[in-house]
Amino acid sequence: MTSRRTPNLMRRWLTQALLPLAAMACSLGAQAAPPLKVGYSDWPGWVAWQVAIDKGWFKEAGVDVKFEWFDYSASMDAFAAGKIDAVTMTNGDALVTGAGGAKSVMIVLTDYSNGNDMIVAKAGIKSVADLKGKKVAVEQGLVEHLLLENALKKVGMKDTDVTLVNAKTNEMPQVLTAKDVVAVGAWQPVSGEAMKAVPGSHPIYTSADEPGLIYDGVAVNPASAKARRADWLKLVKVWDKVVAYIDDPKTQPDAVKIMAARSGITPAEYLPLLKGTKLLSLAAGSKVYVKGEGFTSLYGSTKIVDGFNLKEGVYKAPQNVDSYLDPSFTNAK
Amino acid sequence: MIARKLGSFLLPLLVWSLVSYLPFIWHPKVQVEAPGGVDYFLPGMLVDREEFAQQSADMRQQGLALPTGVPANPIYLPAPHQVAKALYTAFTTEPEQKDAPWLHESLWQSIQIILWGFLLSSAIGVPLGIVCGTYQSVGRLSEPFIEFFRYLPAPAFGALAVAVLGIYDGPKIAIIVIGTFFQQVLIIANTTRKLEATLIEAARTLGTRGVRLITRVVLPGILPDLYRDQRILLGWAWTYLIVAELIGTSSGITFFITQQARYQHFENVYAAMLIIGVIGFGSDLLLGRLGHFLFPWDRTRDRT
Amino acid sequence: MTDHLQQTPEVKERFAQIYEREAILEVQHLGKRYVTAKGETEALRDINFRVHRRELVCVIGPSGCGKSTLIRILAGLESLSSGAVLVDGKPVSGPGRDRGMVFQGYSLFPWLTVKGNVMFGPEMSGHPHNIADGMARQWLELVGLTKFADAYPHELSGGMRQRVAIARALVNEPRILLMDEPFGALDAQTRAKMQSHLLDIWKNLDITILFITHDLDEAIYLADRILVLKAHPGEVQELIEVPVPRPRTPGQSMTAEFRATRAHLESLIHPPEVEAGTPEEAAVLGQSHMIRFTNVTDNVE
Repeated sequence: MTSRRTPNLMRRWLTQALLPLAAMACSLGAQAAPPLKVGYSDWPGWVAWQVAIDKGWFKEAGVDVKFEWFDYSASMDAFAAGKIDAVTMTNGDALVTGAGGAKSVMIVLTDYSNGNDMIVAKAGIKSVADLKGKKVAVEQGLVEHLLLENALKKVGMKDTDVTLVNAKTNEMPQVLTAKDVVAVGAWQPVSGEAMKAVPGSHPIYTSADEPGLIYDGVAVNPASAKARRADWLKLVKVWDKVVAYIDDPKTQPDAVKIMAARSGITPAEYLPLLKGTKLLSLAAGSKVYVKGEGFTSLYGSTKIVDGFNLKEGVYKAPQNVDSYLDPSFTNAK
Repeated sequence: MIARKLGSFLLPLLVWSLVSYLPFIWHPKVQVEAPGGVDYFLPGMLVDREEFAQQSADMRQQGLALPTGVPANPIYLPAPHQVAKALYTAFTTEPEQKDAPWLHESLWQSIQIILWGFLLSSAIGVPLGIVCGTYQSVGRLSEPFIEFFRYLPAPAFGALAVAVLGIYDGPKIAIIVIGTFFQQVLIIANTTRKLEATLIEAARTLGTRGVRLITRVVLPGILPDLYRDQRILLGWAWTYLIVAELIGTSSGITFFITQQARYQHFENVYAAMLIIGVIGFGSDLLLGRLGHFLFPWDRTRDRT
Repeated sequence: MTDHLQQTPEVKERFAQIYEREAILEVQHLGKRYVTAKGETEALRDINFRVHRRELVCVIGPSGCGKSTLIRILAGLESLSSGAVLVDGKPVSGPGRDRGMVFQGYSLFPWLTVKGNVMFGPEMSGHPHNIADGMARQWLELVGLTKFADAYPHELSGGMRQRVAIARALVNEPRILLMDEPFGALDAQTRAKMQSHLLDIWKNLDITILFITHDLDEAIYLADRILVLKAHPGEVQELIEVPVPRPRTPGQSMTAEFRATRAHLESLIHPPEVEAGTPEEAAVLGQSHMIRFTNVTDNVE
């Protein structure tokens, strides 16, 4: 799951540099007809699709779809290269991928992070305000950086009020053991490992404090969304069934078992990860899919990420946020 | 010979066992059994020994229940028996997920990637290397570019490989090829250059010319060294596997390693590493034996 | 003391016979210049000589006289800068089967057995396997290595390897056999044996030999004539007729003719003034106050 978010910028740039070539290459091979190909990766909101796969619900719904299991960044590469019709990603990464040339529309939200992303601080730090003037490690330009900014803003501080240390998210547990670093930003399971590595350390701010900071969903190639709208609509309908199955206490153990198997860990280990993810039924999704400001609106949240991406130099030109989001699939009756 | 080779494994294994089973040697952590009065302790949690002592002292002072625990090694150092168990269960337990490949199937998948990648690379790299080494003009023309290209990190071609070759095995094989090919040409060109010049001269005075100089003199002349190079390069190809298997759809043994490491299941990580090591070492040993059999004239054979 | 120019009537007669035979190898105004980083060097200048059928000519000269370059040009392994090399009256360009070559370092193909090495030439000239096999056996018998036909070169002693190399060159039935210090790497005993062995082969075959060596005794023992080169640049100093009668035996080295020839060669290759070396060298050699590294009382004289 550590690879859920954008990998480092270098890699992203490289991918973009290679995109013209990639585009050329895929224009040679004609777009394959059915089935729909969806790339998914290791994040609870996306692993949830595994339930539908294992239960055969797509067949029941009459949609021919093939889910391909990827490493997160590899899945975005495959999408950018036009090798898959859709990919599961965050709203922020949809912008980054689109800025590189591979536009997409998000047709359904799967979840938002509800505590899985966190700022973990050592025992002595009781709140975000205590970070003032101290060293905090985040992977610059990534979502935990945004989370930290958000946290600081709430207590009336800025980036510059703390000393930022840039480090790889995967290495945060080791970074936190360093004497002068008092807090790190990371998502599960890395954040959990960080807390295990430094006894007494604890989350002082999590994505649960700002629901909607990061939305996750299924982003579809616009051409495919248009040409095969009927099929995508069927797929979106299946999602409701998945959320119901996972949320129902009676069926949850079975769902968690399926999801844990996909990630290669035990159900007991998986449960906390699921808890930090707020799955969004279609009804819940519809509520978020409305124009507005702030994190409770998908549009507002995506705009904030766009601003952050610009400020951090992830890309140069602001993205047209509206073009990336299509509520019509989620709202369809 | 084999016994002597296995002997060199005993010492590391012994050290590993001692560190794992004798608590007084290392064990810098304490695994919590009962948290007692410590608010953040959880059963199964690993804490530093000092931290545990500190908390115990605090609890005693406050008159609260003392935590209990046993000395333990850090999470990244599982004991031999844990790894052995992970190895055993990996092959004997059906995968949890429906239709997921068994470990040996993942392994076979990986081996196929390696072999195809290596084969494709060799099909062009070996002849090209020999030609570069034989004809100075060809070498001068192609080697600078190859020299340049070999510094480009193979993983950087991941996205391009996916774009051109799709999301399944194609791009993975391509990464192995890119990682191996350029080294291969340079190494084999160099090996070819080291062939004694008088052998070629002798052949020429005996009436050999043209292509037959390569097929009848250069090729057999460098064959034992070429074989050795190929053995080394095959090992090299393995090192690119972990990158290759993160490209396109996730599959194979090294993806298993990446995934397990992410969740800190180090006993599984070590088990898989062990399997790769055994396959690599075993096949090299086998190829080495085969080399003795194939090249009875090779005087340097006792060195390897 | 006899002069090396004095010849018995028999020897004179023999030389007359040799000169009547046709020239197999003719070298005319041969010159060789190299271009190196430091500029152009002249390795060989205006070399002229001819070798007659069934003659054995040795080439000697101080180091740097270009004797190896000469034989490599004759073999066609290096190009010449001026002049011409004719074999049977035809100019040579590149290596050819009419000139067999035996190298100092044996240069046997390590991946082939002894027989395989000897078969290499016939196979290259398109003989079918069984014919080549038969030829190889015949030549291995001639050099006395039938028993080792299936051995690999690295299993043989130096002398045996060189016999394989000779067989490998001869199986092609060349007009002339070029030998580049072939016995240079052998110990004294093996070397003496190989010399008689070579003479045996030479006697029994219709073969002409050009033999490079730096060993004066070897040259006198083997050669009809000795081509003496001098260095910087390599030029012909003298072409000497060896007055030692044939058949040659090792015992002849004490005869007057042998010693006279040797003395003459010695004077050509190591002239007295060179013996003394440069004035600086002489000074060093003549120094009396050499530092002692032993106890003064521990005198060995």
